[in-house]
Amino acid sequence: MDHSEALQLMATERYLLDEFPPEIRDQFEEHFFGCPECAIDVRMAAAFIEHSKKTLSTPAIVPMPAVPVKSGWFAWLRPAFVVPAFAILLAVIGYQALVVHPALSNTIAELTKPRVLESAYLSSGTARGDSQTVVTAPAGQPFVLFVDIPADNRFSSYSAELLSPAGTKVWALTTPAEAVESAKDSLAIRVAPANNQSGEYVLVVRGMGAGATEGPELARYLFNLQLR
Amino acid sequence: MQFFAFDGPYLERLRAGDYRTQEHFVSYFSELMRLKLHSRLRSEQAIEDVRQETFARVFATLRSGAGIREPERLGAFVNSTCNNVLLESYRSSSRNTPLEEEDSERLPDQAVDALNTLIHKQAAENVRRVIDELPERDRRLLKEVFLEERDKDLVCHDFGVDRNYLRVLLHRAKQNFRSMYLKTVTQREQAGGE
Repeated sequence: MDHSEALQLMATERYLLDEFPPEIRDQFEEHFFGCPECAIDVRMAAAFIEHSKKTLSTPAIVPMPAVPVKSGWFAWLRPAFVVPAFAILLAVIGYQALVVHPALSNTIAELTKPRVLESAYLSSGTARGDSQTVVTAPAGQPFVLFVDIPADNRFSSYSAELLSPAGTKVWALTTPAEAVESAKDSLAIRVAPANNQSGEYVLVVRGMGAGATEGPELARYLFNLQLR
Repeated sequence: MQFFAFDGPYLERLRAGDYRTQEHFVSYFSELMRLKLHSRLRSEQAIEDVRQETFARVFATLRSGAGIREPERLGAFVNSTCNNVLLESYRSSSRNTPLEEEDSERLPDQAVDALNTLIHKQAAENVRRVIDELPERDRRLLKEVFLEERDKDLVCHDFGVDRNYLRVLLHRAKQNFRSMYLKTVTQREQAGGE
């Protein structure tokens, strides 16, 4: 066996893996005893095998793979997300506790106090425009309108729509016919101050048929709101 | 890498009994003989006996007038002498006759070869690095073949590979180990030269 033949055969590996038949093994031994390059190759491979036994007998130190962040329901629990989220939440809670809650408490306290509200009657007379009703109310405070609704058993309910001095709808209210009847046709409506605008307002009353279909206009009340 | 040319001057130094040349000669061929004998003899003592007897005969021949003429045939001569001693060992072991120990006490210790020393010092670390870089599957394959010494065909079957895969795996690992070794030796030589 010559050197190129030994290389081609991967003779070193076959020799150390004990793959050669006896006669080829003898030929390779005769070769590497006289070939320094093959001799060193065999020595290196043999040394590798010998030392690998010691290395392989100890458990491998496998570096822990980086655990990929699972995207799913709990992905938002990552500190990068949770910390700022909690900071924002605390700020909101603080704002509510220090600003919103006291303001609401004051408002509730005001609402629970007994007080006399400004009021006005809107009767069929005003609807005809004989004399304009004037409602005087403190700015930002509610007032009460007693509205004369001409009851008619054709209607199952009634609607009241408030129009601003500019003609735009401020609010609308639907009342069942029973409520109108029990109020003896004069329905009390508490009006919250929608804005601080004084001027001539119009309250339009309509009868509503079955299925809440819009019926005919029954009355149109004009009143002058004067805010103090 | 230490490549030695077994040329005329080397042979002359060996004949003249130059200690360093003898030291290299014994170390170099001791390792090759151990590799060769390991698959043929069971006990370390038997291997050692054959090794020493082989060197005794080689040195006796070198010093005699009928010494080898072609220096490049020195390795082949050692191998053939070893083969002869091995055959005699097979025969004598059946008769329980110890081999002659002619001149063996005068031979240098084979364990002082510089290459040998370096290999043993650095081999463990370099092999560990080579093995650490292998995929887990290849590590287990080598473990079952070399450490657990399972039947290679069965191991290859279990891992779904053929014998050529095992051969190439060993070849690559050996090449990596050899490269690392060369790098280490070069660095040592550079450090020593500074």
